[in-house]
Formats: sequence, C-alpha cells, structure tokens
Amino acid sequence: MRFSLEKRDTPLVSGWSIVAMSVLAVLIGMALGGILFLPFEASPWEGYQSLIGNAFFSKRGFGYTLVTATPLMMVGFGTIVAWRCGFIFLGFEGCLLIGAMGGTMVGLGALEGGILSSTAPALVIAIALAWGATLGALWAGLVGELKIRFGGNEVLIALMMNFLAIYLVQYLVAGPWRVVGDMPQTERLPKDLWLPYIVSGTRLHAGFLVAIASGVVIWVVMAKSRAGFEMIASGLNPRSARYGGIQVAIRQRQAALIAGGLAGLAGAITIYGVHHRLLDGLSDGTGFVGIVTALLGRMSIPGTAIASVLYGGLSVGGDAMQRQTGLPSSIVLIVQASIVLLLLATEVLRTHRIVFSRKKKI
Amino acid sequence: MDIPELAFLTTWIAASVRLTGPLLLASLGELISERAGVLNVGIEGTILLGALAAYLGAIWSGSPWIGALAAAGIGILVNAFLAWMYVIVKASQVVVGIIFNVLAMGIASYAFRTIMGDVPRIQTAPMMPEISIPGLKELPLIGPALFGQSVMFYITILIALGTGWLMFRTRFGLNLRAVGEYPKAAAAAGINVVRMRIIAVLACGLGGGLAGAYFVLVQIGLFRDTIVQGRGFIALGIVILARWNPYLAILAAFGFASMDALALSLQLFDLPLPTQALVALPYLLTVLAVSGVFGRSRNPAALMIPYHADR
Repeated sequence: MRFSLEKRDTPLVSGWSIVAMSVLAVLIGMALGGILFLPFEASPWEGYQSLIGNAFFSKRGFGYTLVTATPLMMVGFGTIVAWRCGFIFLGFEGCLLIGAMGGTMVGLGALEGGILSSTAPALVIAIALAWGATLGALWAGLVGELKIRFGGNEVLIALMMNFLAIYLVQYLVAGPWRVVGDMPQTERLPKDLWLPYIVSGTRLHAGFLVAIASGVVIWVVMAKSRAGFEMIASGLNPRSARYGGIQVAIRQRQAALIAGGLAGLAGAITIYGVHHRLLDGLSDGTGFVGIVTALLGRMSIPGTAIASVLYGGLSVGGDAMQRQTGLPSSIVLIVQASIVLLLLATEVLRTHRIVFSRKKKI
Repeated sequence: MDIPELAFLTTWIAASVRLTGPLLLASLGELISERAGVLNVGIEGTILLGALAAYLGAIWSGSPWIGALAAAGIGILVNAFLAWMYVIVKASQVVVGIIFNVLAMGIASYAFRTIMGDVPRIQTAPMMPEISIPGLKELPLIGPALFGQSVMFYITILIALGTGWLMFRTRFGLNLRAVGEYPKAAAAAGINVVRMRIIAVLACGLGGGLAGAYFVLVQIGLFRDTIVQGRGFIALGIVILARWNPYLAILAAFGFASMDALALSLQLFDLPLPTQALVALPYLLTVLAVSGVFGRSRNPAALMIPYHADR
C-alpha cells in the first residue's frame, strides 16, 4: 500500500478543522509522552496526574505556571507585532538579557550610596522597568535599522546579537557588578525593590499584570489602530503596502522597537519579580519559546496568552513531577516539542489530503 | 621573541586547531544546506544527538570509528525528518529548527538517563587515534598544531576541501547553488529543487552528526546533555563570516576557535581585557559581516523561503 499527498481543491479553513487538528496534535503528543513513562515502571496516568496537578491544580503550582508564562507571553506579543509586520525577529533572547541588565543597573543605583538611594522604591521599580524596556527596544531597533537601511538579514543578525548580549551579561556579573561570593551574580536587591506578590501563598508577582496589560495594549494597537493596520499590511505584502501609501520602513522600525521593548520589559520584570538579581545563565531559551507560543496561538493575542500558560505549565509541572516521582522532566520537553511539530506537520492536511493507492502512480 | 612567549603562542595555536574541528564540520553541513536555501537552525540539536550516538556507539562497540559512523547515521536520520518538515511540509524553517532543538534536548537527556541509569557510571569512550609526525611535530609555532592532531582533524580538512570542490567545480554544486538562489529558474532548467534541498539538509545532518562525534571522540570522551552549548549557532555565524564559502569556512572556524582558546588560556593571567570581550569578538565580526554596512555579504537569495512548485 502506498500513499501520497494530493492537493485539496480548497484548503480547510474552518475553525473546527483548526481545533480538530490542534486536539489531534496534543493527544498524539501526550500519547507519545505516555509511552516514555513506561521504562520507569510508572503508569502514564500517574505521571500526567502529577504533572498536570502540580501545574494547574495546586495554588502554588499554578502561581509558578503564571510566573513562567509571563515572559513567554510578552515575547509572544512581541513576536506578533514584529512577524506580522514582516520583521522576522529572533533576537528576543538578547532583548530579554539586555532588559534584565538595564533593570538591574537601575536597581544597583538605588542601593546605599547610589544616585537613586533616596528615591521611593516604587519609583525605582518603575524607572527600572522603563529603562529595561528602552534598552530592549534599542537592541531590536538596531537590528531593524541594519535590515532596513543596509539590507542586512534580520534573522542572522539577531541570532548573532543574542550572543553579544549573553557575553555582555556574563562580563558584568563576573566582573564589575559581581558581589563577593562563589557565584557570578550581582548583589541581591532589597525586598522593598521586589515586585509585590499579588496572591498570597504563591510567587505570582505584579509583573503578570503588566504582561496582561501589555497584551491588551498590543491588541488595541494591532486590531484597532491605523498603525497596526499598516504594520500588518506591510507584512502581508510590502510592495502593495507601499503603493497604498504606507511607509513600510517606518512601520517596520516601529514594530522592531515595540517587539524589543516588550522583551526588554519582560527581562526587567524577571529580575524584579523572580531572581531579584542579575546572574549568569539567565538566558534559558525563553526568548525562543516565546516565539513558539505566538505561533501556537496562531499569532493572536488571546491565543498566545493561552499557549504561554499551557507551555509554561507543562514546564513547571515537569519539574515538579521530577522532584516528586523521580520521572525525568526531559519527557516534558519531548511532549512540548512533539506537539508543536505535529501542529506544524498537520498543517499540510489542511491543504492536502492523504490518498492511499495500491498501484504506483504513473 | 623569547621562549615563554613562543611556548604560549605554540600552545595557543595548537589549542585553536583542536577546537576548530567540530565547528568546521558543523558549519560545512550548515553551509551546504543554506546554499540550497534552507536555514537549518536545528543543527544544534543534530550535533547533540550525534554526540549521544557517538558516545553510545563507541562504548558499546569499543571502537571510535563505529561511534563516528553511528553519529553520522543518526545525524542523517534526524535531518531526514527536518528535511521533510522544511521541504515537503514547507513549515517555517526557523520555527521548526528552534523547536527541533528542544526536542533533541529532551530526547538526548531522556535516552541518556534511560540507558545509563540514574547515576551513570563515568565511562570514557574510546578516543580517535592521534597522528603524530616525529620531527615535524617539534617545529615551533605550527608543529603541534598541524602535525600532532587527531586523525579526525585531517579528515575534517579533507571534507572541507571536498565540499569546496563539490560546490564550485561540479555540476551538482552549480545546481545546488541555483536552487538556493532562484529555485524557479533552477526548476525551469530541469533541476529537481525538492530533491536537491533534501540532499542538502541530509548533508547538513552528516556534518552536524560528525561534529557531535568530534566533541565526544576527540575532545571530551564523555557525554553530557550540555555538551553542545550553542556551538550549532556558532556554526551559523561561521557560515556568514565565511560568506557561504567552504574554503573560507576553514579560516572562519579557526577564528572563532582561536578566540575561545585564547579566552581559556588568558583566564590564568590577570589581564585588563575581559575574556568575554575576546569570545564575543567573532560574533561582533559576524554581525558586521551580515549587517550589510561594510559591503555586501549576501546570503543565498532564497534562504528561508520554502519552494512551492505551483506558485
């Protein structure tokens, strides 16, 4: 029996087909993961129960899930703005780091003897987040400028600039900003400079609200404003956008600044909400996974938010599962990646159908 | 030049050459793939799985050659999947690559733990033999660097020269470049674009897999799931810096490796220059090279653009 792909006359575009494909991908991915529990003499049921229970059905765990989802969401929103405008930006990892660095810079200035030491803590936090966002925006803006003015390839530039950010942070925490001790990290910020926890008994910090607010703002900009419309038009077809009187270069610059700003803000929030200090190893792929969640959310704001929570939840649940049951959390990586790959692969079923035939086609 | 300085330079160059090998192998694979129009960000994961296969193959069989063969096989196998996603499904190349790296990380650490148990015994893999040419090896500066390397290094250099010959001196290479520059015209000229791109991605798997084998069988002798540490992305940088040219890739890979080696040896001294600045330098050059500010280092025109025969 042979099978081949045959193009459908009209692609499936109904919401139901999308939902069906997504559910199918998730189920197959989970089933695949279930098999991976077996060598450890654990039932898939127990494994998933521990994973999902910890991630979504315990108060503390769900708090962690939302904390993990916060930067993913913001990077996802940034992805929506940049990619829909035709600016394929992969430098969020760098922007996150630069934002974290900027935020820390302000925080260190508020320590004893610093220029901000007499400033009210809330104001310091506000300045820190704004400065983080600004630096992130400039970092991405530089990539945008190189693409637009000099015709550089934004994908490759951004990928390489991520490493510049990694080494810059590494230098700062190992050199000038290093606190006495074994670890390459800065001094811990005093408690009054932490973002407040918004639900008692959890680590959920106010940065989550900032992420939600930024999602609302981006949604309004993209769906309701002229700027958003022109950005999307520039991304769909730059040439016709130009004919329509849209200044594509300006819109792409703006998209780069917004995307980088969101990621920079997310980086600063991670410092003030989670780590409370700058440290080596802060870059853990969030800037890349955020892009994936935007894609999973089909480039829509609510979809990206939901995808971020689900993806973050799986990561948090996986770690908890490993601690509780000794099952390796790497299973979760496999499940997450399989689901995304299956979603991408089943996309082909919407434009093609599988045809089984006994005879070889001539 | 006095004796300590000479000794320092000699060890530095030798260490740089040692670090060059895997970077060069990976970047040659990536280069072929990109020349055909496919940006394979998934090379990071390919290297990791290649390293795992090399380690397991070598300790099970007792022969590093079987290990290298296993790595090559696994590299090609996983890139067959990637090729399917890139070329047949035509999904976004960067997204597939990114998520494949997550998958590879999961598979590598899961498989390693499942096979080796909770607390893996530290078992060193048999290493590739070194070739040492007496007399020449004692030469100052370049002696140890050029005449006392692992056999894998010389194979790698041959592969690089072979890739260059293939790319610029054969019809296959011409077709490959045509597919990456203007697939429509290539198809009109009778070239099978889809097949060409699949072959290129498989070649990338071969390079990535062997690079993984290099880490294990020449440099470390062990496997850890953190073994690759972004070197797949370095390969992307090398390809850019080399302007998609296999011969220049030898120099570019050496450039990245020499900064790494210098940073390692300078940690012993107290220098005003931070080591991170050294390691970051090749990335900075890469950014400048691809920025378009200083002349054009143009990437293949159809890079990252899936080919639709009917559009």
